[in-house]
Amino acid sequence: MNRLFASAFALALSAGAVNAQTLTAVLNADIRSTNPGVNRDGNTDAVEMHMVEGLVGYAEDGSVGPLLAEKVEISPDGKTYTFRLRKGVKFHNGATMTSADVLWSWNRYMDPKTDWRCLSDLDGRSGLKVVSATAPDADTFVMEIDKPNGLFLDTLARADCGGTAVIHKDSVKADGSWDKPVGTGPFMLGEWKRGQSVQLLAFDQYVSPKGDKRDGYIGSKRPLVKEARFLVIPDAATVKAGLLAGSLDMALMPESDVPDLKNAPNVTLAIAPNPVRHSLIIQTRDPLMKNQALRQAIAAAIDFPELVANVSNGLGKPNNSPVYMTSKYYGEAEKQGFKYDPAAAKALLQKAGYKGEKITILANKRSSVPSFNTAVIAQAMMQAVGINAEIEVLEWATQLDRYNKGNYQMQAFSYSSRFDPALGFEQISGPKDKQPRKVWEDPEALALIDKSMVVTDPAERQKLFDELHKRFIEQVPTIFTHNDLDIIAHSKRVTGVTPWASQLRLWEVSVAK
Amino acid sequence: MFRFALTRIGMALPTLLIVAVSVFVLIRLIPGDPAQLMLGDLATPASLADLRGRLGLDQSLPVQFGIWFGHVLHGDFGQSISSQQAVLPLILQRFAVSAQIVLVAVLLASLFAVPAGVIAAWKQDSSLDIGLVSAATLLLSIPTFWLGLLLLLFFGLKLGWLPVVGYVSIAENAKAGLLYLIMPILTLFLHEMGVILRMARASTLEVLRLDYITHARAKGLSESAVLWRHAFKNAFGPTWTLIGLVLGNLLGGIAVVETVFTIPGLGRLLVDAIFARDYPVIQGCMLFVAFTYVLVNLVIDLCYPVFDPRVTAQ
Amino acid sequence: MSGDGTMTRSSTMSGERRLKLPAPNALVGGTLIAILLAAAGTGALWTPYDPLKLSFREKLVAPNALHWLGTDEFGRDVLSRLMAGAATSVWISILTVTLAVVMGTTIGLFSGYMRGWTDRVIMAFNDALLAFPGILLALGLLAVLGANKYGIIVALGIAYTPSVARVVRGTVLSLREREFIAASRVMGNGEGFTMLRHILPNCIAPLTVLATSMFGYVLLAESALSFLGLGVPPPAPTWGNMLAGSRPYIDQAAWLGIFPGLCISLTLLGINLLGDALRDKLDPRMRGSR
Repeated sequence: MNRLFASAFALALSAGAVNAQTLTAVLNADIRSTNPGVNRDGNTDAVEMHMVEGLVGYAEDGSVGPLLAEKVEISPDGKTYTFRLRKGVKFHNGATMTSADVLWSWNRYMDPKTDWRCLSDLDGRSGLKVVSATAPDADTFVMEIDKPNGLFLDTLARADCGGTAVIHKDSVKADGSWDKPVGTGPFMLGEWKRGQSVQLLAFDQYVSPKGDKRDGYIGSKRPLVKEARFLVIPDAATVKAGLLAGSLDMALMPESDVPDLKNAPNVTLAIAPNPVRHSLIIQTRDPLMKNQALRQAIAAAIDFPELVANVSNGLGKPNNSPVYMTSKYYGEAEKQGFKYDPAAAKALLQKAGYKGEKITILANKRSSVPSFNTAVIAQAMMQAVGINAEIEVLEWATQLDRYNKGNYQMQAFSYSSRFDPALGFEQISGPKDKQPRKVWEDPEALALIDKSMVVTDPAERQKLFDELHKRFIEQVPTIFTHNDLDIIAHSKRVTGVTPWASQLRLWEVSVAK
Repeated sequence: MFRFALTRIGMALPTLLIVAVSVFVLIRLIPGDPAQLMLGDLATPASLADLRGRLGLDQSLPVQFGIWFGHVLHGDFGQSISSQQAVLPLILQRFAVSAQIVLVAVLLASLFAVPAGVIAAWKQDSSLDIGLVSAATLLLSIPTFWLGLLLLLFFGLKLGWLPVVGYVSIAENAKAGLLYLIMPILTLFLHEMGVILRMARASTLEVLRLDYITHARAKGLSESAVLWRHAFKNAFGPTWTLIGLVLGNLLGGIAVVETVFTIPGLGRLLVDAIFARDYPVIQGCMLFVAFTYVLVNLVIDLCYPVFDPRVTAQ
Repeated sequence: MSGDGTMTRSSTMSGERRLKLPAPNALVGGTLIAILLAAAGTGALWTPYDPLKLSFREKLVAPNALHWLGTDEFGRDVLSRLMAGAATSVWISILTVTLAVVMGTTIGLFSGYMRGWTDRVIMAFNDALLAFPGILLALGLLAVLGANKYGIIVALGIAYTPSVARVVRGTVLSLREREFIAASRVMGNGEGFTMLRHILPNCIAPLTVLATSMFGYVLLAESALSFLGLGVPPPAPTWGNMLAGSRPYIDQAAWLGIFPGLCISLTLLGINLLGDALRDKLDPRMRGSR
């Protein structure tokens, strides 16, 4: 049967079974597997995080906090991490979690046969190396790394690493192959109908981390419904219809659907920015674009409030900083962005000795990013101050190839989420000789970024990020325009929905009778 | 007849081989590869090399082709890179979606258009003929995707952009699902009506000029008897051939209609696979489409004698 | 003519006998095409507004006295864009058809005249290309060549070459054994001379008919490609990318899709009518092509 039939059928089913204890959420594509951090994508991670938990997890503001650990102690030399485990945490099969399970899970991830996505981030290949992992007693787990690193816990918490989840041995079959997740999360895996739906069942013996409210992947995480279901519906129009009809409870929606949904009587919208950063990246090695005054002129030529309002249906706010708006490090310094000043732009063009050379902006027409619209508006604004800007529309794969090769003048590009600003800076910066895709290669900035990765003290890191931001705005290696928005449309019978990290979280969400 | 079929299939084999090779080469010429797409802005040179190795993209093109083609000969079309589903079942599943739309649309269109075409030819140059031909020309001049958009607009405006607003029961949902199929079928139906009507009219006109029709008329048979007993039967042969061609082309070109109505059919699968650089899926789809095309033509040729007595007589 | 812009051979095969009157279809078709050419000519030189000028205060304005056909999502004047688009679309179509005809004729003549293994190999390739859905072949080629004006011309030109090659080869094969060709040979004329002097002129009639309908297909294919996500890069308007780009706004601003669609439809209608009239006049034996 085709998917359309399948989804219409699923809609029909859920409509028939509307029940106070069933929460119906939407995925735009099926999950790839139930194996955390192995065969995955964004949807897979989102579902996985309901079933499994790691020692640490991300909070809403992008910092890392204890999850299965009660607390984490870091030795003065920054190399030894001691995790004190929470007591009485149960796996879905009823077994109590101990440090032996943590060790077993860790050893499984470090086995190349597991094919764990983040193995190379922790075995020394990418710099960070875990030298030893031990379980001195039932409630303590100790890890030692080769040199101090401010991002070690971040890596463990990453959703694409499956949160380095602690799972029970029963998760794998006798031959070592993956069976199903037997984790400690608020929901257990029910039935997974490939291509159609993933059913989650509330875990009665769930022990929530401390906190009176939900906070990213940590905080209060109680399952408040008996059963939750993710329906796979790729077509946004079908999802919209289902929401309006009341047969779907919650879904992430594109900005273009906001006008329609805003007026619907039974639907509420929850909107929040996420760490995805939309930008116009610049090739600073291009013979023309290496001219800093020209880059500053471009930045001054763009009216950001106007541009952002137009590409985000009036919902977004400009943010020129590489640090995203909801980060705990987004402070006063980061709010100082580029200034729209056409006169200054013209003066800068003079200073740059610009003589009308053509500047090509690459863009693509994917509906999930504002690439094309950003390029069109930026082009018009650049032309208004006398810059000869052109747009070349590429198919996304081709544009990405040009990005990886560094072969462009400007691109309307979107950077994926990085919770920690250090990683956000690292994402765009580095020596182009080794990695042509990087946009910023100021050696002093690179040194500051390296430092921010080692330092663990928040105040000290804030200073580093402020300094980096200032240099970034000065040098204009790239122009960030705004952060992406998560828009969750949900039924009015559902309470407790908050958007975060482009994922649907079903814990702490309840359904009215 | 059996031997004829075998020879024809044998003749098609080089064509399919050329299709396989040229698709393989063409698709590798396009910038970008699936490894880059899967990693996006996370790609480091090391992780790219690693993933390319795992996908077997680090080998030379002839070796990659050899491996893939060897598997195809054993009936194994491989696995999609992006969804990891087996390619052949995926193609068949999507093909079923496209085929149901195309077959229903062409069948319905033929039911109306063939008789209309015959009548138009019979009443050649009458105002009825001119009216029918004009209408047909108009229909086939409207691009299907625009027609589709107009239908969406109409139903959208009329029913509030989508058919299911407000209260929903199971019955209403089933209707909604059906409506998703009705619009693309209607779109193709209207378009193909124009095409088929003109073809049917042309073939009938040709037959009407043949000697034996003049004979039949001379024998004093009534006009309608001549028309239905001789002309219609004989005109159906060429029309049938052309309907077959329409089918073959539609299966390849339905991607646009599927895009308008967001239908997960074969055309959309192929287009998405091209954008995702999902090599096994692209190669499998192209081979499948070319094979279907050859097959449809073969079936048409085999059926030809059934409809056209002149062929068997020779 | 599945509406996807691929060449279906059905059109070239129908060989219909047309109405006998001094072709009202030629009249209507001719008028439509004349309007198109006039609009394209004007659009290339002058438009009421700058077709690329954004105006944020006038986004998605419905047709009114200032903007007769309304404005688009960037506040650009739709009428101006349609006129400028006509120029681009006509230009692309002409170049594409020329390219396909030149390449196809060369291949067809060569293949038909050589016969034997050369012919068989060339035609095997030709058939393989025909077995691709034309639009998807063009899509793949366009991805390789880059989606710009010239990429689309080359991609569609290549995609349509096999149809031309087939028609020409068919004509050549049917002519080869005719007396006047044999006579030319007996008179001691070289193969090349015979080919150009006697065979090529006989291909002109079927080629004219084919080229006329191809002109329409290119227009369709260009918009179909835009629809599938790869067409002429959008800031510069073509009817195809205007129509494709209207989709997200279909419920808010119907005029965005209606007018370019209407232009494409009317042009296709004109071309189809004109093609019918031409075919009546020239009545080529198109059936030799298969």
